[in-house]
Amino acid sequence: MATQTATPTANITQRDLTVEQKLQKLRDLYADAPELGKAALKNGLSMLTKELAAPSAAETAGRIGARQGKVSELTVFLPFVPGGAKRLRGFLQLLEGNFRAADAVGTVHDMRFVFVDNDTKLLFATAYDGDFDPYIADFAAKIPNAMDLWLCNFEGYPGMRNPSAAADWIAAHQIAAEAWYVNSPKLTAAETRKLERVGTAVDELLDKIGG
Amino acid sequence: MATQALTPTKEGNDQSVEAKIQQFRDLFADAPEIGKKALENALSVLKSQASDLPPAVESAGRVGARLGKISELTIIVPLAPGGARRLRGFLRLLRGNLSQGANKVGTLHTMRFVFFDNDTRLLFATAFDGDWDTYIDDFVAKIPDYLDIIDSAWDGWPGIRHPGAKDYLAKHQITAEGWYVAYPDLTVAEILRLQRVGKAVDEFLDKVSA
Repeated sequence: MATQTATPTANITQRDLTVEQKLQKLRDLYADAPELGKAALKNGLSMLTKELAAPSAAETAGRIGARQGKVSELTVFLPFVPGGAKRLRGFLQLLEGNFRAADAVGTVHDMRFVFVDNDTKLLFATAYDGDFDPYIADFAAKIPNAMDLWLCNFEGYPGMRNPSAAADWIAAHQIAAEAWYVNSPKLTAAETRKLERVGTAVDELLDKIGG
Repeated sequence: MATQALTPTKEGNDQSVEAKIQQFRDLFADAPEIGKKALENALSVLKSQASDLPPAVESAGRVGARLGKISELTIIVPLAPGGARRLRGFLRLLRGNLSQGANKVGTLHTMRFVFFDNDTRLLFATAFDGDWDTYIDDFVAKIPDYLDIIDSAWDGWPGIRHPGAKDYLAKHQITAEGWYVAYPDLTVAEILRLQRVGKAVDEFLDKVSA
């Protein structure tokens, strides 16, 4: 969370730098890098000039998290209660990829559940549409059960029937990404799915005309 | 597991659904109260969906999970001394402009860099198209220097041109136990194409209605 508050200040300073100054800053930064890092910087500088000159593309997802265009990231490390890792792993296996609850919310692009540090913590990382607080509120409103089913396995989870406490709990475990890239930042998950249907319809239309 | 859902007879299906519900119940027998209650509320939904499951998650090859055409890569690495300061400085100078490198690879949906444990570790997570080996080969072929600027902050990183680079990556990657994608059939290239199709359709409809 500390990085979140520090970022805007850093960006203001860096906005005022010219590309040349930024390149110099990079060289300074990599002065004590391993040889391969120094060599890479030297070879890669020409590729970086464009990006260094570009206006800032980093935005925030509100309370916490990075956003690019319409798409935000949420990254949390959650501590398991005793037996929680075993239960969640069993639960995910029984689900066999059935995440229809996420389909129902409609603002999720992707999500991953990764067991880390000898099953003491879960890394949960997702890409979603919009800002943090409305996103969590949406889950609390639409799929409180599904949320409780997996989050009950973690220390201190207050339950989705207590949406504001649940949002605070998630935010407390979240770490904002220092950098976040989205290939198609203008598309929400719903818009991408709609385009998929448009694409199918156009193909069928063209088939009919051609056939 | 997936074959259970394909059991041909209705009777067999009902049986396997019942067995499955029982497995859920057993699993949550010693769960916190919130979890037990949530399971009771969710059972009817789980039951109705048990015989109509979405496509199964597969392997992305050497390591990682794949759903449809989209895979996940989740790497946690220890940072070298000074590595966090260098990499954060580099990323901040870019101010979120990572497209020069990422677009060149062309198969990257999303990518995040997260510093944690007091800057001693880095999480690097991406969603990408296809198989692990091809994806890494693409990085090596298309943006080797860009990658080394980033990865030189990682402890023990041998360099992308080093024969041990792939082993290093695979060793630090942890395959997700759960992986969901809202549009598993759409590659990056396909989404870019569909955006053009969508625009063309809109223009066409505008003309027709004008």
